[in-house]
Amino acid sequence: MSPEARIWIAIVGVGLTGIVTRCSFLFLGERLVLPVAIERALRHAPAAALAATVVPGVLVMDGSVLGAVENPRFAAALVAAVVMWMSRGMLWSMAAGVAVYTALRLLLAA
Amino acid sequence: MSARLPRTPGAALALGMREMVPGIPAMAAWSLVTGVAMAKSALTLGQAVGMSLIAYAGAAQLAALPLMVAGAPIVVTVLSALMVNLRFVIYSAAIAPSLRMLPLQQRLGLGYLISDMGFVFYMRRESVLRDDPMRKWYFLGLGATVFFVWHAASLVGLFAATAIPESWGLDFVGTLALLALLVPMLATRPSQVGAAVAATLSLSLHRLPFKLGVVTAILAGIAAAVLAERRLGART
Repeated sequence: MSPEARIWIAIVGVGLTGIVTRCSFLFLGERLVLPVAIERALRHAPAAALAATVVPGVLVMDGSVLGAVENPRFAAALVAAVVMWMSRGMLWSMAAGVAVYTALRLLLAA
Repeated sequence: MSARLPRTPGAALALGMREMVPGIPAMAAWSLVTGVAMAKSALTLGQAVGMSLIAYAGAAQLAALPLMVAGAPIVVTVLSALMVNLRFVIYSAAIAPSLRMLPLQQRLGLGYLISDMGFVFYMRRESVLRDDPMRKWYFLGLGATVFFVWHAASLVGLFAATAIPESWGLDFVGTLALLALLVPMLATRPSQVGAAVAATLSLSLHRLPFKLGVVTAILAGIAAAVLAERRLGART
């Protein structure tokens, strides 16, 4: 098989993993009945998924956990969280986070 | 977030699209970064574009990319993408109860549009939408917006890759958007416990391959939130 063909097969394979995982519990439709306890538990999935993605996204840089001082993302995320808590505006929160991040990054680079 | 949906398909669709608007800058930034990574890899431009359009999963693309370029066995590449996409199984299970009555084609079509952000947005209303006949249109509005913004921005990233320096930290914009979505969810004790457990575990397992730490952390976070709910006797 040519390297070219292998790449394309891999691309289609990666695409299939997205379809299979996304549609996994939707294939069965009405035949699928989740226990009520599981259904209720899954309502906690969004917060857990967000926390599991956000915290490493803020604290992990280049593969290691970096705390407050050398990591401009830390202060930026704190400010963004406080703005979100007070204003409830997603765009305001993101704008504040980006502003603090950019300012600190330029300061650290200087 | 407890209001019912508008009574016509068009209005429900429009509501979904409108609600997704605050998520657009973050998705665009994220997708742009992914597109740039694809374009700067050893893939040809045609392959990079194919990868973005076919895979439609940023994290899985970034995981599969180095393996493909290094000539790893196809099975290994596909399995690693599958591992990274495992969180979609959890999303699928959470969304299934409200889409289960739809015909197969519609279920799979809407399922294909599941994304991190679309999932979070939909679940904010899910408990009141369970019996709403317009919920599929609302879901489609959220999902289609994510889909088009993602693909449009990734094409920009692919074709303008050299003009976009990595030092801008565009991927951090995506993290900030998810943080903004998380904050209002932390209003109750069980969700605080769940988020704290998920965050701690995800952080300590961040070296696990294929983002397996993230899936583990999500499952543990859900379990912790349920335990906290029972312990506190909280009503939901």
